[in-house]
Amino acid sequence: MAALPGIAQEVIDETLAREQTSLWADAWRRLRRNRLALASAVFLTLLILVAILAQFWTPYSYFAQGIGPIYQGPTAQHPLGLDNFGRDILSRIMLGAQISLKVGIGTQVIVIVVGVVVGLLAGFYRGFVDVVISFVINIFYGIPDLLVALTLVLLLGRSLGIIIFAIAFTQWMNMARLVRGQTLALREREFVEAARSGGAKANRIIFRHILPNALGPIIVQATIGVPMAILFEAFLSFLGLGVPPPTPSWGAMAADGFHAIRISPHIVLAPAIALSLTLMAFNFLGDGLRDALDPRQKR
Amino acid sequence: MFTRGALLYIGQRLVLIVFTAVAVSSIVFLGVHRLPGSALLNERRPDPAAQRELLHFYHLDLPLSQQYVRFVEGVLHGDLGESLVNRSVQITPLLLREARVSLEVGGAAIVFTIGIGVLLGVLAAVRQNTWVDYLATTTSVIGYSMPNFVIASLLFLLFGVALYNWTGGALYYNSGWTGDYGTLDQIIIPGFALGFPYASIVARLTRASMLEVIRQDYVRTARAKGLTNRVVTIRHALRNALIPVVTILGPLVIGIITGSVVIENIFGIPGLGKEFATSILQRDYNIVIGLFTFYAIIIALANLLVDLLYTVIDPRIRY
Repeated sequence: MAALPGIAQEVIDETLAREQTSLWADAWRRLRRNRLALASAVFLTLLILVAILAQFWTPYSYFAQGIGPIYQGPTAQHPLGLDNFGRDILSRIMLGAQISLKVGIGTQVIVIVVGVVVGLLAGFYRGFVDVVISFVINIFYGIPDLLVALTLVLLLGRSLGIIIFAIAFTQWMNMARLVRGQTLALREREFVEAARSGGAKANRIIFRHILPNALGPIIVQATIGVPMAILFEAFLSFLGLGVPPPTPSWGAMAADGFHAIRISPHIVLAPAIALSLTLMAFNFLGDGLRDALDPRQKR
Repeated sequence: MFTRGALLYIGQRLVLIVFTAVAVSSIVFLGVHRLPGSALLNERRPDPAAQRELLHFYHLDLPLSQQYVRFVEGVLHGDLGESLVNRSVQITPLLLREARVSLEVGGAAIVFTIGIGVLLGVLAAVRQNTWVDYLATTTSVIGYSMPNFVIASLLFLLFGVALYNWTGGALYYNSGWTGDYGTLDQIIIPGFALGFPYASIVARLTRASMLEVIRQDYVRTARAKGLTNRVVTIRHALRNALIPVVTILGPLVIGIITGSVVIENIFGIPGLGKEFATSILQRDYNIVIGLFTFYAIIIALANLLVDLLYTVIDPRIRY
């Protein structure tokens, strides 16, 4: 086909190709072009596989102490070296991936459920409900969230479930605020009016018309929430309020090695790099998803 | 700048800050007292009389409602009570002293955040879609993907180990805090670790809002008048581009306060953050409540400052 003057061939192809594509197929096509996001997705898939593998097999036991000289640097048998108790760091990193992913994903499940329900209620019914919910959300924004999570974990106990709850407790309002805003905008749209004049009940309008249209931003927000939750868990365990030892958590592993950073930096660096790469991958994927699902917001 | 209306506005806000402080500390107070465990009860005290005497000393034997009234009275008089672990340590002067230390480090962090963030953001926007832009944008994602304790350990390795080896031991960084005010390296290095993740966020915001402003007509007019690129960028575009950036200064202060709990612990800085980590692990609830009150006041003051900054940057905004 002869190229039209002034219009890139790519644009023409795209226009012609776009006959019948759903939002998701469209988003997938855009996401595939974003190499950083794609590489991040591959990395995260590998990480999930490692976390599942660690459930059944690790090179060494994660809690066996003194399997070699303590503080030993990387060797052929122990690619990431040994920590201050002579435990194999690679095995602990693998198991630590489990904790991070459980916290990241578990927190977002709670955040999605609570945030979406609260946001829909506030946005759809407005009035008094909205005033109360917005007031509570604003209070939460005024206090340092990590410190609230810290206090909660301290008061309720140090278990994985409580850590997940405490982090979700400080994060739900981000999702609630987003869903509220989306709902406020969507409820004024023509298709909602059409549904209403067709006799649809509030339930049906909320779940069949508003929620599906807000799904894109919700997914993006949840993806960005995962690294935040993982970061919080790392802070908690770095300060000594994470899951109780000997269960390995990346934050606690970094904290354990910190006193010896001058002589054997590998104890700190291994979990630090694992943590940074994971957070980076989630952030790149989140950015990619945002560009893919909502191209208007692209910056 | 300060008209009568503005002064009235500031007055109202200050009154509101007092209410916020009382509200936040009340929530923490009631929350903490409803839940089990305390520094006093966790220690093994075989002598019940001594236990009772101790509870009486801290008025913990009174009904909760009376304790609460005493507490609120104290807060309104600026008295946050005594430490549960170190008896006869008054909390208000302790926290005031520590706040000054934290302010030095946190201030350095904010300078880094805004300095690095705005610089990277402006460079990325002016050179949009060049390698400068990609470098700045990627750096900023890396920046906020690194927990501050990771940045801290890298700084330790760089200044504590590499610099030491390279200069043969003549120059190196030793963490800690000497004297009342600390030395310059004791402030700057933790400040950098504290501020860098937020610098990345500021950079993203600055880039986005710069890109928007740079395309506006008045910028083109300024250029058409023959002004140099530098003058147009700094004097005309940046000023308006900074308005959205100012908005995140409030969350930034919260972030710095949160980060300082970790950073002050790592670097051994005797500030509010270290106090928080220590007293929460010791279950010294009086200090924890006091710290939350303190933080609420600091955050509210920061928000007030941000609102006043708007009027400086954009004279159209008035109160």
